[in-house]
Amino acid sequence: MSDLSVDFAGVQLANPVLLASGTCNYGQELLPLVDLARLGGLVSKTITPLPRAGNPPPRVVETPAGMLNSIGLQNPGLEDFARDKWPFLASLGTQVVVNIAGDSPEEFAAMAARLEELEGIAALEINISCPNLKQGGMLFGCQPAAAAEVIGAVRRATGRPVIAKLTPNVTDIAEIARAVAGAGADGISLINTLVGMAIDVDRRRPVLGNVTGGLSGPAIKPVALAMVWKVHQAVELPLMGIGGIGSARDALEFILAGATAVQVGTANFVQPGAGEQIVDDLQAYCEENGVAAIGNLVGRLEI
Amino acid sequence: MLDERVRLLAKEEVALDFFWTRFKAPGIAAEGIPGQFVEIQVGEGETPFLRLPLSICAVDRQAGSCDLLFEAVGPKTEALKGMGIGDETACLGPLGRGFQAPPGGRTALLVGGGIGIPPLLFWGEVLRAEGFRTTLLAGARTANKHLPDSLLTVDAQKVRRATDDGSMGHAGLVTDLLAEELEGKDEYAVFTCGPHGMMAAVAALCAEREVDCQVSLEEYMACGIGICVGCVVEVIPEMGEGGSDYERYRRVCVDGPVFDARRVRWEGR
Repeated sequence: MSDLSVDFAGVQLANPVLLASGTCNYGQELLPLVDLARLGGLVSKTITPLPRAGNPPPRVVETPAGMLNSIGLQNPGLEDFARDKWPFLASLGTQVVVNIAGDSPEEFAAMAARLEELEGIAALEINISCPNLKQGGMLFGCQPAAAAEVIGAVRRATGRPVIAKLTPNVTDIAEIARAVAGAGADGISLINTLVGMAIDVDRRRPVLGNVTGGLSGPAIKPVALAMVWKVHQAVELPLMGIGGIGSARDALEFILAGATAVQVGTANFVQPGAGEQIVDDLQAYCEENGVAAIGNLVGRLEI
Repeated sequence: MLDERVRLLAKEEVALDFFWTRFKAPGIAAEGIPGQFVEIQVGEGETPFLRLPLSICAVDRQAGSCDLLFEAVGPKTEALKGMGIGDETACLGPLGRGFQAPPGGRTALLVGGGIGIPPLLFWGEVLRAEGFRTTLLAGARTANKHLPDSLLTVDAQKVRRATDDGSMGHAGLVTDLLAEELEGKDEYAVFTCGPHGMMAAVAALCAEREVDCQVSLEEYMACGIGICVGCVVEVIPEMGEGGSDYERYRRVCVDGPVFDARRVRWEGR
């Protein structure tokens, strides 16, 4: 049997396949359809210090080979998450990374400190890349100094692995990656969605209630791959590859480009069983190709 | 709820661009109730990408079949129309919360517009089996967009049609017919599905006359199972609810698609 397990910043993953934040909510809805314990893990939907209503609808629209969303971080807030969502997530028998967002470095740090009280969280994923907020969100992820300030504040507030989730909506993602690495991040997730827009020509109005949204799905896979490859060359940190992954071959592309693990996102909306299928197919690929451990493939792109 | 391979058994154009289809789908047929829907995959590739949500029009639990009715208007419905008899695809369902039976032996007024009518056909069938009288008020732009009698005039269902252009039935809005029906002496409950404006007008009429009304909403939808939080509707908090910001928008796919009309914030869309 080939070994699919990987170590991501000290977190032992049974396999390198996780479900991405915002595409599996807090796990509950997938229970009838997916055996979450078979996955490497999942990243829970972003929580903020206080409950958030999110953006007005329409919030999603299909685009060629993908979709736009402008959910706007609708979430129950930190305390309701701790009380209502975490006990279930902790019972799943898989690694759970908790994704957080705040309006200031202090808010991020306070959340990280409060989450220290919950047992079993594998790591924190720091959302400095949401494109659907008027303040905070992506603004932190677009400037190296601001990104470093948030990651540094979280770093000082938690003993858990800190994973910075980066936005592709920047001039040079390697610069941001170096900044968060310097601030003490243990790993990097990339990429969040690309800012996009759709227009209803007949009504001469934007389709999304928030006007713009984030593009995801197969359409963004080439962009994500190039960014993972670029960041892999720029920093020593382990990477979570995200962006249009729907099959084991997609996952392998990211692993070869330098990702230690991958996150399946929008594909969950089409095939709720996509993650499990990818695990099975990665196993089969490794057996068929004499790969003893999938970790041996990380960054093994030949140029 | 399950994601099952379904096979197309029959297909027929029942009105202009309106297609009735029957799928072998034993799991969905066994569980499906009126108002619920399915997410059917219509392409294997990346465009169209997301599945197509469609209301369940009927199920035959013994035969293990499920009927879906759709209007071919875009890439996904065109792809579904292009399926051949015997072709298979993936179908996730049944999804969402369906209609709730009203208390007591009342007359159910089913108010449908365009492609909103199919779930009401399923619901009417179940209501009549439980002893309710049903009246279907069907609205369409023009005569050739109306579903045929063979689908609508079943059992003792009373059917009244309206068209925008007057080419069939009442010339005007289906809500005109609803207003007339509500003048009757029965105790009514209203169930509606159709364009947003029509449902808002139905909800307003019912609110004015203090008649119970359930609406089956439609919204741009991705996953259909509550994980993306995309297909939301703004709701009015119920008495006693905390009114947390988190509760302002509800997911049409899992908290609905059927809602009490009084809870929906109709303005603004």
